[in-house]
Amino acid sequence: MPVPNRYVIVGASHAGLEALRAIRMQDAEGSLAMITRDDALPYSPTVLPYVVSGRSAPERVALKDEAWFAEQKAQLLRGRTVTAVEATANQLRLDDGSLIGYERLLLATGAAPQLPPIPGLRGVKFHVLRRLDDAIGLHAALPSVKQAVVLGAGLIGMHAAENLAKAGVQVTLVELQPRVLAGYFDADAAAIIESAFSDRGVRLLLGRRAAGVAADGAGIRLQLDDGSELTAGLLLVATGVAPAMECIADSGIATDRGILVDERMQTSVGNVWAAGDVAQARDFYGTDAGARIINGILPDAVEQGRIAGQAMAGDPALRPYPGGVPLNTYTFFGQQAVSVGRQDIGETVLREADRARYLKIVMQQDQLTGIFGINAPFDPGIMWELILRRIDLGPLRAAFLADPQTVARRIMSRSWR
Amino acid sequence: MNAVVKPRPRAIVCDGNEAAAWAVTLAHVDMVAVYPITPQSSLVEYLAKFVADGRLNAEIVDVEGEHSVLSVLHGGALAGARTYTGTCGPGLAFMFEPYLRTPGLRLPIVMSIVTRDTLTPQSVWGGHQDAMSVRETGWIQLYCESVQEVLDTTIMAYRIAEHRGVMLPVNVCHDGNYLSYGATRVELPEPADVDAFLPPPAVHWHAALDPERPMGVDPLTGGAGGPGPAMFVRYRKGHCAAMQHALGIIAEVHEDWARLIGRRHAALVEAYRMEDAESALVTIGSMSGAAKDAVDQARARGERVGLVRVKTYRPFPVAALIEALGDASRIGVVDRSVSFGWNCGPLYQDVIAALHSARRRPATQSFIGGLAGADLTTDHFGRVIELVGALPDDSGLGAVIWLNEQDR
Amino acid sequence: MPAYNTIAFRPELCNGCGDCMRSCASVKTGSADPANSRIQIAADDGSYALALCRQCADPKCVASCPAAALDKHGDDGVIAWDGSKCVNCLLCTVGCAYGGIVYNAAERHVVKCDTCDGDPACVKVCDTGALRYITTARIYNEVGDLEDLFAPGLSGCQGCNTELVMRHTLRRIGPDTVLATPPGCIPGMGAVGYNGLTGTKVPVFHPLLTNTASMLTGIKRQYRRLGREVNAVALAGDGGAADVGFQSLSGAAERGEQILFICVDNEGYMNTGMQRSSCTPFGAWTSTTPVGERGRGKTQDAKNLPVLMMMHNCEYVATASTGFMEDLYAKLDRAIDASKRGFAYLHIYSPCTTGWRFPSQDNMEVARKAVESNFVLLWEFAPGEGLRLSRDPGRPVAITEYLRVLGKFRHLADEDVRHIQGTVNRNLRFIEGLAGGQHPAMASLAADRADQAGTQR
Repeated sequence: MPVPNRYVIVGASHAGLEALRAIRMQDAEGSLAMITRDDALPYSPTVLPYVVSGRSAPERVALKDEAWFAEQKAQLLRGRTVTAVEATANQLRLDDGSLIGYERLLLATGAAPQLPPIPGLRGVKFHVLRRLDDAIGLHAALPSVKQAVVLGAGLIGMHAAENLAKAGVQVTLVELQPRVLAGYFDADAAAIIESAFSDRGVRLLLGRRAAGVAADGAGIRLQLDDGSELTAGLLLVATGVAPAMECIADSGIATDRGILVDERMQTSVGNVWAAGDVAQARDFYGTDAGARIINGILPDAVEQGRIAGQAMAGDPALRPYPGGVPLNTYTFFGQQAVSVGRQDIGETVLREADRARYLKIVMQQDQLTGIFGINAPFDPGIMWELILRRIDLGPLRAAFLADPQTVARRIMSRSWR
Repeated sequence: MNAVVKPRPRAIVCDGNEAAAWAVTLAHVDMVAVYPITPQSSLVEYLAKFVADGRLNAEIVDVEGEHSVLSVLHGGALAGARTYTGTCGPGLAFMFEPYLRTPGLRLPIVMSIVTRDTLTPQSVWGGHQDAMSVRETGWIQLYCESVQEVLDTTIMAYRIAEHRGVMLPVNVCHDGNYLSYGATRVELPEPADVDAFLPPPAVHWHAALDPERPMGVDPLTGGAGGPGPAMFVRYRKGHCAAMQHALGIIAEVHEDWARLIGRRHAALVEAYRMEDAESALVTIGSMSGAAKDAVDQARARGERVGLVRVKTYRPFPVAALIEALGDASRIGVVDRSVSFGWNCGPLYQDVIAALHSARRRPATQSFIGGLAGADLTTDHFGRVIELVGALPDDSGLGAVIWLNEQDR
Repeated sequence: MPAYNTIAFRPELCNGCGDCMRSCASVKTGSADPANSRIQIAADDGSYALALCRQCADPKCVASCPAAALDKHGDDGVIAWDGSKCVNCLLCTVGCAYGGIVYNAAERHVVKCDTCDGDPACVKVCDTGALRYITTARIYNEVGDLEDLFAPGLSGCQGCNTELVMRHTLRRIGPDTVLATPPGCIPGMGAVGYNGLTGTKVPVFHPLLTNTASMLTGIKRQYRRLGREVNAVALAGDGGAADVGFQSLSGAAERGEQILFICVDNEGYMNTGMQRSSCTPFGAWTSTTPVGERGRGKTQDAKNLPVLMMMHNCEYVATASTGFMEDLYAKLDRAIDASKRGFAYLHIYSPCTTGWRFPSQDNMEVARKAVESNFVLLWEFAPGEGLRLSRDPGRPVAITEYLRVLGKFRHLADEDVRHIQGTVNRNLRFIEGLAGGQHPAMASLAADRADQAGTQR
């Protein structure tokens, strides 16, 4: 048994990297190893649609390079998959059979595409978009593709559809829900987005389910639940992701839909933490203190990663995780959509919508619970703080509704400048 | 490094101030701080001249007062320098603050006191009142009789001061006027012999200020509790022990001087014609010459009289003094200063205390003379011998006899 | 981790003119439309709110960028945006809680402040002083890694300015130093130590209150004799410098001893219980100039020790304040250098929370107000150069702004305040006269030294 590392981090995306930084703020020397299944340097899954489109060159998306790891006195093990966490022995078993010991472990393994139960899917060639190799493969396939079907109108699917369309591909988007980006926007907002896609020739088939798929020459043939059929040279399945936690199957670490963690990102096993898309953590809005959600968004992965790193290194400055707030930014065809918070808690106190602009504000009593805009300027980071700090907007309510960006900046200047 | 650029005669005629300057030169002193005061002024002028002539390779610091004189030497000694200065009377009074501190820091500084009476009455002439006033401050005090002894003692003072078992400052006291300005033939020791006698100075690591070996010198020590009180006592006891240890070292150094240089001086006390003496004079400083002449005259008359000269006054050589006094049953002590409140001279006070410790009770008498430059002649001492010879058996502390009271 | 310069905003000085935004927009986009400005200032109920990139030390925008398009530069601390990598996802705007990076519709990407390469256009046009480009980070970067040469845990009063002076100065002067700290607050807080322990990592000693400069003379002379470069440094209070220690100080200055003498002026004997010194200003309560039926505090003005030292024609003399650290460090550097050639004297005003009676957290504020009201003037003198005011005394704040924060002045009557204002005015005229070379003494002093310099060449 080799000398165990003081810290081991599995996963090299935002949560893992931020944890590494937080550990090094507190402990400059303790041995640290980061394990990633990718051969590539650390990258963000969020950038992958831009690799597909060619906007981002694969060699320029690395979040950190080897020199950075050397500077951090951290060992980066690339192209290695953890097959098992042996928590009682405080060690990891890797795909090459080797063992790595740890004193403190962070699981930041992220999420993996969740494939829908479509008959015939396993028998056809299709793409997913979660790893850099996926994006590079998709990008390489573009020149020969004339028609594409994208399953799923979540962020990955939408980004991919847009980028395929911009590359000249005839795209059909199939979504089970009656609107796009249902998790983030209401029907009015979605309508603005949908029309932008329709205007650029993307065909949207909403409220439809794929009933079966079969190979068709080099491409595929897809049956929908209304009996219609689509043929395409390329099928992209973007119907969602699920926490990547196969490796902890027999570890004794408690899971639900993801790995359950407390407000310090600690799992049910004392020296194991989890953060990012794999973690199921406190819900900011949860009325039940035990309510746990998978928030699955990048800025929250950063927050969780930092908290986990601080906890692992014993940083006294740690402030417990306040709970996940849904957040997103989404740009499409040069337009900006931003959502901060929840639509379904409290009441809608402002709603402005036309074809080009949309703004909705949701409040509970005098506290902000959500703000959603398309082409409506406001600072999402400030709004997030307003929600987390439960700022009383009562005295400024009217002004805030009239000009949320300016008034929120005034509150920021007074409260945390 | 300390090259002597001018050849020096083996014997010269000089006064005590110049003799001290020669001693400083031969001792390879690193640092001299000076401020002029009568009757010391010519001493610092000689030093300045020796430095200007390249004879003495020392830092000479002309400061703005005696307080700084000794303070500069504190700094120099803490940085490892061999140091020297001289002062007297009001100058000694002004440097009292650093003066008090010098022995506590255990700095082996050598300082001449070219003795002068203290103010007031306003006076610029010799008398031991200045040096005697600082007799309880923890410095070693050596009193010289002759110009030759000034030269030799000033060099020996460095061996004594820098001895690891002593590490105390030394005052070499020579009488204002009589020794400071009185010129006699003086033999200069060979520089090589002095070098063999006196090794180069070393840094005194008990208290040193060197960035290569940082320490806090003289942190606050004492207080009502904690380790402080015991620590303070340890420092004081160490100082006392060093003073007593110095008695042996002073004797040893004088012995070495006699061996290497070929000239012998009494180290602690000098017994002069004390064999079978019934009467004894106890003297200190330059007066002893005239007193010895008077003793010689009395001996010539067949009187059994002798003299004991005290050279080492602090530490006080109790045993040596008692031994030197032998069986003398009548003792006259001549002081050149006053112990106010005891109505006697300070040396007298020490002598009767020493006799008491030896459980001896001869007849004693305190004489005070030579104040403010007054001359003490053979005639004065002839009278002293006469008075001592006539002392009733029970004479002791009582009326002092003032030797110059009737002088015109 | 290095420190960086920063754009600081003081809303109380802002008048909402908008020049900063127009200037920024013009420089960055060629259009003066404030909407294009990277700095956004908005009126807020009589005050002003600021949205601007703080160039955070631990930037969440960078951590939230999936495309590695944002990076905090190690050399200048600016968070730089790389347009060739940005994918316009706007996640950085979620990470920023300050409105410091925002989508600009005209430019069709996010924009943020880049501090104009260290010369921000917004600050240049701000006439009110509301925007300042604070460059004190330079000091930290230069000295932040230097060892603090005092032990931790010195027992100064809470908020002690003198401890600040000690730690800053000594770490700059460095370990090849022998340090003298005459009796007072400095050894009182344990710099030399207690009962066999020391509080300083360089050789340190208690001189007498009276002989600091003389003891240093001996030390410096001996090391010079040995050919060793050792700094001889004093950290002395005003009592030990201006009163009982003045003779030895004056003597060493006159002799041109190669000493750096730093007087930490807290205007009295604060360590022994706040008694009056000759540096105590008029009107001040001290325990020996108490306020009572007839007593109204000190009835004389303070001795102007730095001016006296200047008239010794030292190699360098300056006044400084911890409220103006860049200035202090610049003078400290010059003083250290000058002490290799001759006597260097640095007079640092050091507000005393205990003795002056103000809350311990207000130390810097008091130090600043003393200077801003011209109660304390910052200047420096070097032979041949004469005297130079290192801070413009124009537009002072009212003297009452300074006096009213200090308990020791609480009893002052209007006439006392007028007296103090008169003293401040007179000092200013005197120093300005010296600075202009108009004072005959200064003119001849400067000319003398110029002559000497000429002769030496």
